[in-house]
Amino acid sequence: MQKKSTEVLVIGGGVTGCGVLFDLAQRGFKATLLERGALSMGTSGRFHGLLHSGGRYAVNDPDAAHECIVENQILRKVMPHCIEDTGGMFVSTPDDPPEFADEFYQACHKVSIPATEISIEEMLRREPLLNPKIRRVFTVPDASVETWDACRSLVVSAAEHGAETLEFHEVTELLKEGNKVVGAVAINKVTGETVTITADLIVSAVGAWGGRLAAMADCDVTVHAGKGTMIAMNYRMVNTVVNRCVHPSGSDGDIIVPIGTVAVIGTTSVRVDDPDNYPIEEWEVKLMMEEGEKMVPSFRKFRALRAWAGVRPLYQEKGAASDLRAVTRKYALLDHSPRDGVDNFVTITGGKWTTYRMMAEDTVDLVCKKLDTTRACRTAETTLHNPHGESKYHTLGSRLQKLETGEFDGQLICECEIVTRNQIEANLATNDRHIINDLRRDLRVGMGPCQGGFCTYRVAGLMHKNKQLTTQQTNKALVDFLQERWKGMNTVLWGQHLRQMQLDEGIYMGVLGLDKLPPGLSGIDEKRVAEVETEGYYEVS
Amino acid sequence: MSLYDTVVIGAGLAGLTTACHLQNKGQRVMLIGHGVGALVLGSGCIDVLGYQPVESVEPVRAWPDKLSSFMADHPQHPYSLLGETKINEALHAFQGLTETEYQQNGSENWLVPSAVGAIHPTCLAPPSIAKGHLGDTASMLIVGFEELRDFYPALISQNISAQNLGIETESLTLNLPEPGASKLNITPIELATLFEQADFRQQLVSVIKARCQDYDRIGFPAVLGLGRHAKVVVDLEKQLGRPVFEVGTLPPSVPGRRLFEALKHTFVQAKGRMNIGTKVVAGEVKDGRVTQVQIETTNRLKPIIAENYVLATGGILGGGIQTDDQGRVWEPVFNLPIDHNSNRQTWFTPKFLSPVGQPVSSYGVVVNDRLNPIEDTRPIADNLYIVGSLLAHADWTQGRTGYGVALTTAKHVADLLG
Ligand SMILES: Cc1cc2nc3c(=O)[nH]c(=O)nc-3n(C[C@H](O)[C@H](O)[C@H](O)COP(=O)(O)OP(=O)(O)OC[C@H]3O[C@@H](n4cnc5c(N)ncnc54)[C@H](O)[C@@H]3O)c2cc1C
Ligand SMILES: Cc1cc2nc3c(=O)[nH]c(=O)nc-3n(C[C@H](O)[C@H](O)[C@H](O)COP(=O)(O)OP(=O)(O)OC[C@H]3O[C@@H](n4cnc5c(N)ncnc54)[C@H](O)[C@@H]3O)c2cc1C
Repeated sequence: MQKKSTEVLVIGGGVTGCGVLFDLAQRGFKATLLERGALSMGTSGRFHGLLHSGGRYAVNDPDAAHECIVENQILRKVMPHCIEDTGGMFVSTPDDPPEFADEFYQACHKVSIPATEISIEEMLRREPLLNPKIRRVFTVPDASVETWDACRSLVVSAAEHGAETLEFHEVTELLKEGNKVVGAVAINKVTGETVTITADLIVSAVGAWGGRLAAMADCDVTVHAGKGTMIAMNYRMVNTVVNRCVHPSGSDGDIIVPIGTVAVIGTTSVRVDDPDNYPIEEWEVKLMMEEGEKMVPSFRKFRALRAWAGVRPLYQEKGAASDLRAVTRKYALLDHSPRDGVDNFVTITGGKWTTYRMMAEDTVDLVCKKLDTTRACRTAETTLHNPHGESKYHTLGSRLQKLETGEFDGQLICECEIVTRNQIEANLATNDRHIINDLRRDLRVGMGPCQGGFCTYRVAGLMHKNKQLTTQQTNKALVDFLQERWKGMNTVLWGQHLRQMQLDEGIYMGVLGLDKLPPGLSGIDEKRVAEVETEGYYEVS
Repeated sequence: MSLYDTVVIGAGLAGLTTACHLQNKGQRVMLIGHGVGALVLGSGCIDVLGYQPVESVEPVRAWPDKLSSFMADHPQHPYSLLGETKINEALHAFQGLTETEYQQNGSENWLVPSAVGAIHPTCLAPPSIAKGHLGDTASMLIVGFEELRDFYPALISQNISAQNLGIETESLTLNLPEPGASKLNITPIELATLFEQADFRQQLVSVIKARCQDYDRIGFPAVLGLGRHAKVVVDLEKQLGRPVFEVGTLPPSVPGRRLFEALKHTFVQAKGRMNIGTKVVAGEVKDGRVTQVQIETTNRLKPIIAENYVLATGGILGGGIQTDDQGRVWEPVFNLPIDHNSNRQTWFTPKFLSPVGQPVSSYGVVVNDRLNPIEDTRPIADNLYIVGSLLAHADWTQGRTGYGVALTTAKHVADLLG
């Protein structure tokens, strides 16, 4: 068994945990982060990708709305490489209560969200596919945000201040001495090894899993898991984030976010018991297709590429009523010493992606107080490093431009997302890659309309050719990646997309016969399929 | 009097073969295809039965031995409807149909390597593919090219080796000689046209020759020429002094394209009329007979009238079956009934490479033994015939029966009408 020690241990590698780690490191704490999967594989990697202006909460939760607009402006400065300034619109369709529009407008101004009404003609000039029957439109400073880059930037910047990040380490036990938490036991999911880490203070930033982790320290914390489903459509039908101008409670599928080459509609909101297991249901898909049409009348003519779901961490105060949407979207920072009589242990949960920095600042302020020191937070003024060393790495336009100017000359491996062999080989050379999904997160291979039909085989072939993987590992990597894609797709297969899937099936079964390699060689292992099923790891937003 | 004896709708293997047979029998045939079908996607080999039980990973050696148990397991499959004799007649008739040679390995399947080095059991194969037969232990060198993204020779050779077939296998990846050298994104079809140039082959041979001496046969990606394929192979074999074979690539498939061109040639030589790029949008049924179909032209719908109509529009991939987000499943030309479950959650299994098939892939048109579509047991139109993957219970992934079904059903309709 491996033993380590640190000053502050952060558990959870979503945006909150990464944000806390960076803030701690910048304030001079020795800090370590443990994440059971890859960074951002929890809710932060399965969200809607929207940097909220706060407009959505202006009417019913003005405090949350205000937090959003403040943080929205800060994040634009500190992580410009992760943000695409799409702008946002709130549209009042014929299906929406007309009186809400004025209420919305006034509420925005009360919390300093710069909402501006524009004419329908102006709206259609900017977004020609929007419903011409929309009655009122307000613009707000919404944006879209790239979570993989953000989390990576945070831990890379934290590392420069000496912090350590351990991915694929699942905490299975919290160590207690009397009423003090003194460390954690984690299992390295790659090697199976056990690691014990002692620390002066432990921060739980595990989102929807917060209740489970707190229970390991005998604290009673209720975090509900609120499932939300999103669907990516194969066409960037709008360039602006479009929100329905409605009361957020009781409304589903009312936001469309343009991300890369696609547009994503979401979300539903359903309470689930198990944050690790929440199938997408057919009614959710149907509903979103119908709601999409209200904003973009031609919505259903586009192809739904894939659907995924994430779980919102919804904290419920001890003894409070448990209606889901009534639970605040504000965050909860719990000091378990006064609350539960358990020392050296703090939980941060709830909130939103947009407010992660503020949550981290508050958390580290509490850490300072508990460790009896005063150190100022500087995360609102520090621009994060871009791990790719260039801006807007993930936008197709910038890559297309590079390809055209010859900068990325090389073989096109993924035609949909314009990923070249040079890029893949460079990535393979600097990283220890075992699954195609790693490349997907870094380079977006297999994310486009063909859903990996062609590039999966090509990437696997290259990984094998470059001796990154043995023959057997290559077969496994192929099967796993295809299975994972399947999981994201099979809830939205009909029409053209179903034809595409049958072509992909033809390629991998008819042409390649991948399913008929002998068992020891094929990587088709029923248990693994089941794991991919329930873990559903790394779905990208 | 109608202008045509038969209108065939769909230009995949099923439609093309039906059209060729009928035209050869002296009928006046009109073939209408929206696209060119799955022929240009697949390997170009005719699979009849590759696995039985279908979920087994052990390839069928002699398919006639396994056919009756396959039929017993799949009583509604088109094979079960038409029987073994018809399959054999269809294979035989197909071999005489075009100038392209297709070989059968007695009653055994060919076991040819795929582009991951898996075994592909198939019944009829062009000689260039059959020479890669893995039942033969002659050693092989698999050659690929840096410029070709759709073929990884080391993966192929190592997967073959790992299956302990007693075949010594090695790989070699080369850069293409001029004029291929700068073509980083070359497609199999483009590469096939380069192989037709003697110069290009000459340069390749000079690089490969010294490095292939220890191997009995040499495998290339299936790009050894299009129209002049046979000459290309003969020339390479002569120069390299050993048999040369082809291994399929990702689509587009060059052997599939050769077969498509060969069938088209047969049909046109026999003075068949064909119209590719045109969609049949509707058909009319009156008193149990089809009276016309309508095609899309630039400004109007145009009726086409014949005595008989053959619908070969394929399954979901071909466009013969349509689906939507509301769980509707329909046949778009005649609106023939498709038995289906409208809850989309029942269309799929949790597994992508499903050993039991995706339920949605078995959806199709139910027919009687004359291949007329039926409602309950009554034919909907007795001059309308269904062939190929539009048929119900014909999911080709199950047992790998794709082109076998296309040929057998095509032959049956040709026999009924000719
Ligand atoms: C459908 C949906 C859409 C959303 N859309 C938006 C949006 O558009 N904009 C926005 O601002 N917010 C959005 N949110 C909210 C936002 O995504 C979340 O609030 C935020 O991502 C939570 O981040 P987190 O780091 O706290 O939690 P997570 O990202 O869930 O991170 C927790 C991590 O802890 C890890 N973990 C759990 N148990 C253990 C253990 N025992 N040991 C080690 N690690 C463990 C998990 O693997 C996980 O990676 C959305 C949420 C949902 C569900
Ligand atoms: C990638 C892939 C690889 C495969 N590999 C093999 C293999 O190696 N061996 C094997 O035996 N099987 C293989 N199969 C299975 C085999 O391709 C199918 O079983 C077979 O193609 C079915 O042929 P078909 O003629 O019935 O349909 P298709 O080939 O699908 O042809 C349908 C035709 O109808 C046309 N059409 C559709 N609607 C209309 C309309 N309204 N008007 C006019 N025309 C219309 C289409 O354009 C097309 O020309 C493979 C399948 C795939 C997808």
